[in-house]
Amino acid sequence: MFRPNKMSDEPKNSNPQPEAEPAVTRSTVPMWIFSLTLVLIYLGAVYFDHHGGWFDPQVYSPYKNAEELEAYQPKSGAEALRAQGKKTYETTCGICHGTDGLGKPGQFPPLAGSEWVNAKGDKRLAQIPLDGLNGEVHVKGQDWSASMAAMGAGLSDSDLAAVLTYIRSSWGNNASAVTADDVKAVRATAVGKPAINGETQLKTIPE
Amino acid sequence: MKNGFSVFIAAFIALGASWCGFVLAPVLQLGTAKQTTILVSGDTYPVQRTGDATLGLQVYRANGCTACHTEQIQQDGVVFDVVLTAAGKNPVVVSNLISTLKLTGLTKEAADSANDKITTVGGKVETHLIPTGRDIPRWGIRRSVATDFLYDSPVQLGSQRIGPDLADVGARLGNADWQLLHLYAPQSVVKNSGMPPFHFLFETKKIGDAPSPDALNLPKEFAPPAGYEVVPTTEAKQLSAYLLSLRADVPLYEAPFTPAQVSTNVPAK
Amino acid sequence: MNVNEISQQKIDTSCRVPLLALFGGAALWLVVGLTLSIIASLTFHAPQMFADCPLLTYGHAQPAANDAILYGFCIPAALGVMLWIFARLSQTELVLPLVPVVAANIWHLGVFIGLIAILIGDSTGFMWLEFPRGSSVLLFAAFLLIAVSAVATFGQRKERELYPSHWFLLAALLWFPWIYSTANLLIESGHPVRGVTQAVIGWWFADNLIFVWLALVGLGVAFYFLPKLGERPLQSSHFALFVFWTLMIFGTWCGIPQGAPVPAWLPALSSVASGLTIVPLIVIAIIFVKTVCGANTNCKGGPFCYIKFGTVAFLLSTLMLISSGCPHFSKIVEFTWFGPAQTQLQILGFFAIVICGAIYELLPRVMGFELPFPKFVRVQHWLFMLGIILLVVSLAIGGIEQGLKNYSLESSLPFLRVSTTGLLFLLLGSLLFAANIFVMTFKWKLALIKSVVAYIKSPLETAEVKS
Repeated sequence: MFRPNKMSDEPKNSNPQPEAEPAVTRSTVPMWIFSLTLVLIYLGAVYFDHHGGWFDPQVYSPYKNAEELEAYQPKSGAEALRAQGKKTYETTCGICHGTDGLGKPGQFPPLAGSEWVNAKGDKRLAQIPLDGLNGEVHVKGQDWSASMAAMGAGLSDSDLAAVLTYIRSSWGNNASAVTADDVKAVRATAVGKPAINGETQLKTIPE
Repeated sequence: MKNGFSVFIAAFIALGASWCGFVLAPVLQLGTAKQTTILVSGDTYPVQRTGDATLGLQVYRANGCTACHTEQIQQDGVVFDVVLTAAGKNPVVVSNLISTLKLTGLTKEAADSANDKITTVGGKVETHLIPTGRDIPRWGIRRSVATDFLYDSPVQLGSQRIGPDLADVGARLGNADWQLLHLYAPQSVVKNSGMPPFHFLFETKKIGDAPSPDALNLPKEFAPPAGYEVVPTTEAKQLSAYLLSLRADVPLYEAPFTPAQVSTNVPAK
Repeated sequence: MNVNEISQQKIDTSCRVPLLALFGGAALWLVVGLTLSIIASLTFHAPQMFADCPLLTYGHAQPAANDAILYGFCIPAALGVMLWIFARLSQTELVLPLVPVVAANIWHLGVFIGLIAILIGDSTGFMWLEFPRGSSVLLFAAFLLIAVSAVATFGQRKERELYPSHWFLLAALLWFPWIYSTANLLIESGHPVRGVTQAVIGWWFADNLIFVWLALVGLGVAFYFLPKLGERPLQSSHFALFVFWTLMIFGTWCGIPQGAPVPAWLPALSSVASGLTIVPLIVIAIIFVKTVCGANTNCKGGPFCYIKFGTVAFLLSTLMLISSGCPHFSKIVEFTWFGPAQTQLQILGFFAIVICGAIYELLPRVMGFELPFPKFVRVQHWLFMLGIILLVVSLAIGGIEQGLKNYSLESSLPFLRVSTTGLLFLLLGSLLFAANIFVMTFKWKLALIKSVVAYIKSPLETAEVKS
């Protein structure tokens, strides 16, 4: 091992040979290290997808994403009702009337902007899903040939109230909410009755 | 790496990437944050500290309080409690139903389902959102979020809990006299406290014609000799005002909870 | 001898004054820092001790200790070793040798002002950034000056191919000025960034300095000395390149603590990066094992032992860092003594020991004579090893215990006592180190004075003879 000479007044050039600087070998990195890195990158991406909130500045742990945070917000009564109604609407009514409330031309009338939906009272409206509706109906100046079954008869009072509240406050509609009690009252008078026959009969039902 | 320039480029890319991610992006996202509103009440939050409390932050910084204390509450999860507010038309049915259901410490799905069941039989319920975690309710009621520190400069989040967390200390221990006593003689108000006394923030002086109104009311073991009183200096009062201003007890969009609920101390998921 | 061949001794001699300027102050700050650490830890054994003394409360002494060790010892000592390595690898004398001498004095002045500021209450309040503005400017300027000399020496190299240590050390020369200037401008200037953004930048800085920068320099020095002292080549250049890239790319994102009051994406990115840091950790371990095992040198508590121990300490400290990035473990140990345990293992266990070993190896060459107290090297090695083990293991276990017992300080008091003992051993070791450096400097200065006096006396005699 190279060791310097003892101290003298002036350092002298008397070393036999300079010590070697370190050397390197050239063996290549084995493939498993690269594979491990790629696997870890993949797992990391999955982790970030689940826990990262996708860079949303309002998502903090333990919430996982913006939708979850929105869903967990404590809601006022009307908001909670709307949220519940939206869920039920989309599974029960939206198939025909559309998730956007515009219906299907020639087949199912729209709910958006419909005068029947936006009526001041909700009793007439509540009876439509409870009994069903057949025959000729005018909606927004167009003729429709209705053949709607009693789609709401199987729903609970609170569910149906939520759905009606939802359609009365979505897509530009701005009518009052519907309570479960209102639905209950209508159900009591309408139970077992046949489907409403056309606009003429519909108009006889008080709002 | 062939030459110095390629080494420079490699280091530039690596550090540049994290500079973009952890300096540039947070400055653009969090550095431009503004006041937000408190859930339900709609009041603006946070409100800037004034007067003694602002100067107190500088006293806090100067004394290195952040070496032992944190100011950030953490949260592990949320649970729901379903609370009956009205029995409705069928009280017997409702009460029978409730006795069969679990109504506290629920997940969201369980809470929604209990909610549906009870409203179907005519009861009216409220769902309460309660944060859970080891820090809750010990040191606060919800987690700390960026908005809590909007007007702090310097931000003193801390990294050690040698002493307790202080994010919500203004709500937990909101008494100026207690804070001053604790600063002068921590062991007098917290048994076995490991906090060193901060005598130099106070003055021990001879009692004049009448005891000064600020004088600390110390127990015998910690009291000064007879004829002397302990009076806080301006710095002590500013620090106390700062500590009293530390609150994180209002619900926000990022950290919601149903207020006026004493947390049920439900264990975290 | 080939007259064009610059002798190695001239290379070593050219580094003498700059290195002594850097190392002398560094050794002093190490002693000061460890003393302040002990003073800080006394708070837990006798809280009443500094009730009337604002200078030495825990909130002043602990940050001052941290900064004295990091900025006072680690960085200048490392820069000195870096200059020598560059000169040796370039096979040229140190370029612009006076520049590092001036820079060293500016640096140590900056550290001095900064430490006084912390003790009197003028700290900025951010961990690892406590020095006030004036001090930071001095440190920044001094670093740039030393970097100029280092890069100039590198530019003069005869062997154009780069050795792995070149990459690590050159990258470090870019890393520190960038992170230091960013952190100081955005946090401490007249217009700091708003609210919690300050903390995010503070965490980014701390991770990039304590983990990445210390790793770059420490590994650069270790990859130079391990093959040299073990008399085997480094295994291998491609492994080292892989480590270089992955350490920089992944390590720089590890800073944000889990559960911090920032949007979820920040701690999530840090968590992912911590997991990915396993990759460079594994490869460094492979390099270490392949290069060191089979080396037929019996180190006997000499510099080779230092650097081996330091590298193993780095592997363990990185493992602790990675585990802190895992949310489930972090829930237990965040805000406990586990964090300081990891930082002390990185700074003292890894970096300080590697640098001390390197200095013990290069200083006799640079000075031209043996260490005044060669036996101290071995004693200091054992003191440091024992001190680190006592300090880190006690704080780590104490931290886990503290976390499991809901941040109870009482439960961690016995561990704190053991850690204070560890600090005492470290202080003793640092005193031995300082003794070697100071006596060596003194001897050299004495020899210098003698030779000057001899020179003044001699021309008269020659003139007399001639006339």
